[in-house]
Amino acid sequence: MWRSIFVVFAKEAVDNIRDRRSFLSALVYPLLGPLLLGGMISAVSGVVSDNPERIVTIPVAGAEGAPHLMKYLDQRGIRVAAAPADVTAAVQEGSVDSVLVIAPNHRQRFEAEKPAGVRLIVDSSRLPGLLSVSRMLKILGDYNRHVGRQRLARKGIDARLAQPLAIKSVNVASRANLTDFFLFMVPPFVIFAVFLGGVYLAIDTTSGERERGTLEPLLINPVARWGLMLGKFLAALLFTIVAVVVQLAAFKLTFLWVAGAESNFFRALDFGAMAMILTLALPLMALAVSLQVVIAAITRSYKEAQTYLGLLPLVPAIPGMVLIFAPVKSQLWMMSIPAFSQTLLFGQALRDEAVSWAGAATSAGVTGALALGLLYVAARLYEREELVFGRR
Amino acid sequence: MIEARGLRKVFPPLTALDGVDFAAHDGRVTGLIGPNGAGKTTALRILYTLMRPDAGSARVDGFDTVSERRRVQSRIGVLPDNRGLYQRLTARQHVRYFGRLHGLGGGELEGRIDQLVEILGMADFAERRAKGFSKGQSVKVALARALVHRPQNILLDEPTNGLDVTSARVVHELIRQHRRQGRCILICSHLMQEVALLCDHLVVLAAGRVVAQGAPDALRRQTGENDLEDVFLALTGAREPGGHVA
Repeated sequence: MWRSIFVVFAKEAVDNIRDRRSFLSALVYPLLGPLLLGGMISAVSGVVSDNPERIVTIPVAGAEGAPHLMKYLDQRGIRVAAAPADVTAAVQEGSVDSVLVIAPNHRQRFEAEKPAGVRLIVDSSRLPGLLSVSRMLKILGDYNRHVGRQRLARKGIDARLAQPLAIKSVNVASRANLTDFFLFMVPPFVIFAVFLGGVYLAIDTTSGERERGTLEPLLINPVARWGLMLGKFLAALLFTIVAVVVQLAAFKLTFLWVAGAESNFFRALDFGAMAMILTLALPLMALAVSLQVVIAAITRSYKEAQTYLGLLPLVPAIPGMVLIFAPVKSQLWMMSIPAFSQTLLFGQALRDEAVSWAGAATSAGVTGALALGLLYVAARLYEREELVFGRR
Repeated sequence: MIEARGLRKVFPPLTALDGVDFAAHDGRVTGLIGPNGAGKTTALRILYTLMRPDAGSARVDGFDTVSERRRVQSRIGVLPDNRGLYQRLTARQHVRYFGRLHGLGGGELEGRIDQLVEILGMADFAERRAKGFSKGQSVKVALARALVHRPQNILLDEPTNGLDVTSARVVHELIRQHRRQGRCILICSHLMQEVALLCDHLVVLAAGRVVAQGAPDALRRQTGENDLEDVFLALTGAREPGGHVA
């Protein structure tokens, strides 16, 4: 029996390596995640600097009206550039992140020691704008205190009277940057690849065979139906494993190119983490492929199967996308939810947290048991006359 | 040896087979004939194990097609109604795939494939992928994969449907050759010329029942018609008294 299963497996693997769609879904689609994440990291790391005091340039309109402020900015290492003609339009279209506009009467009011107007023009829907405005507000706040302190001192008043709070924020993140945020995006992409890698093969080897009229001659061969089904299942599983391996390798390369070998990204996705993710994903791959085989066996046509299975990868990836923005503390009961438990475990593997063995075992046990249940259902479906001749 | 006893199959509201009995013996070509919708393909599908009868039973070399499915499957070679090919496999890979599923392998399998390639005249497309094969080429590949395990019983559904004269002749010669080897051949056809040319025994089906069976000559005598087409029309009730086709 195992020989026949292997014969079917080998034929489906060879046949589908030659199929553009199966090839795309196993080797090319998994690259989209790493490309997307790589693009985001390089875009964001351009505006987020590890050193908030680094020299920046800010366009200022009417700089000659505020010589004192300009001198202060210069001392803080901030370069002043000429502002574009249409300030609002320039900020909206993103050609500059923000613009500091000095009010026309700034100089008189400043010299009269009255509040002198400045405006910060920013587009808060753009990340670089938000970052630059918060940096600018901090500098302007510093300037306010600096000038205020001088003025109060001249009048013989202790400036600390006007400063009832001493504020200091303490960042407790293990890595004081956006690495974790982006690493949280890796698990949902992996889940996506798990449900996408073998999908075309699963449809093609069941609905496709029926539609092309090859299933009828195939089923006349003296091989148990469950054996034929298992051979096809294993071929789709192989393609899924390849998809996930390709994706993890692509993540590793992307992190190397975008962030460098010294980056936290590259170090977080080490070979240990990759092997761990692949192992944790195996039961989920079995579940995904057995579900695909079941759906392909009950749907009436290739197109119908494609409709259901095309949407399928999104559903299990959703919890992971939510986790990017709202991380939860993983608990044992969560490990009984397929896809969700793997998302949490992948996150632990990536962030170098200890992966709990009880959690991993529960996840693998529940997901694996469901996969076996679906395989049994698939084997039963393969016994039906409707598998070959369709529903009447 | 193929035997059908009281085969009944219902696809509500249609009764496709309504108690069909016949036998196909070794060393003979048995023709299953009848008008469209008479139940020929359904009967064949039960015999080649892809359908279960609602009542009655079918046996191949004494093995039941439902309870001993696998033993039956290893004794039959089938050209089914669906003769689809895998577009991305070569002709030879098709035959090899089915040979392996029958437990064959190695030099023995390759030898048999070479032989079939020669008999069926497939040499110029044996190594080509099936995408774009002509109807004749497709049928030859389907026949080769059905015969690679040298089955004692051969079931062919409309074997020359859509073939040109040259290809049809190759198929006819193949059928005769297997008869000489003492194999049991059952063909389903509505081409009376082909039936007259090949068959030793005819089973005439109409509306799910066997309306007549016997050697072609016996059927000619029974109906008093000389042309097999007239015999067919007389037996299946498609002709009204007075000689007009309904």
